[in-house]
Amino acid sequence: MTELDPVIHAAARLRITATLASLEAGDRITFPRLQELLDMTAGNLSTHLRKLEEAEYVAVEKSHQGRTPVTFVTLTRRGRRAFEDYTDALRAVLGGEE
Amino acid sequence: MQTGLQYKVVMTTNSTPPVDDEPLQSPDEALALLREQQGALERDQLGGIPWILGVWGVAWLVGFGALWSAYDDGNPWFQLPPAVAAVIFAAALVAAMAISGWIAIRLNRGVRGPSNFSGAVYGIGWPIAGFSAYLMGVALALNGMDRELQSLFFPAIFALVAGVMYIMSAAIWRSVDQLVLGIIIIVTGTAAPFFGAPTNNLVMAVLGGGAFLVAAVVMRLSSRSATR
Repeated sequence: MTELDPVIHAAARLRITATLASLEAGDRITFPRLQELLDMTAGNLSTHLRKLEEAEYVAVEKSHQGRTPVTFVTLTRRGRRAFEDYTDALRAVLGGEE
Repeated sequence: MQTGLQYKVVMTTNSTPPVDDEPLQSPDEALALLREQQGALERDQLGGIPWILGVWGVAWLVGFGALWSAYDDGNPWFQLPPAVAAVIFAAALVAAMAISGWIAIRLNRGVRGPSNFSGAVYGIGWPIAGFSAYLMGVALALNGMDRELQSLFFPAIFALVAGVMYIMSAAIWRSVDQLVLGIIIIVTGTAAPFFGAPTNNLVMAVLGGGAFLVAAVVMRLSSRSATR
């Protein structure tokens, strides 16, 4: 049986990864906007992002816009590949259902 | 290598345990969740577009309807003084530009990167092409084009600009709906002058405004059914 990547195979991280994967490759999203899209608390989102970051699926980058600090989140190439492998594996497990 | 899976979550700023951290029960549940999230994203990202189209539909209907009502042989139900019609027309277009611009800017908020380029080029394309079309009309007017011809020329050239922009939008964001809309707008703009003034305004209001409104409804319904 195909293994489902445990880093992604949890509700919160699956939603985060799917959301980041919907961006064009190379696009970054601000933390507050990501939070809004996912409807998660900031604390919970940071915790899961840290796990994704540890797996090198996600890159978190802090920068400044004028004086306000902005945190950008992006899916790494590795993360995008892992997400694609995950969805492939999911389909394979479910018997090649489209 | 560390898989990054076995860690203790020791938060300094937040001591509550993470939510939705457990492995999902089944692949079915995972797929359902994935689809739900992708659907929610699509609704969020495309949800504004029907409103943009709707705003333009109303603007064309009201604006060109007002112009049509400014002629003796125009609107049979009521007549507007030309100055009032011109103000209504301008107000409708300015309002539509402002509202749709605001919605469009909000669509991609919080995202930076390569996709910004397409959006920015497309966004700046509208005023560049629109202003150029306006100047062409001014040049023709300065060289003797009378008011009646102007009233045929301006709507036609603006419809051409808008139609081409919708076709570009269809190409960038891969939307067949917007391609169809762009073609209808161009056909409307091309056909309208053949009717002569003031009927050309009626054609613009009904065919052009109608096309926007139908496109708005179609896109709203299709984004709903796609994400059910």
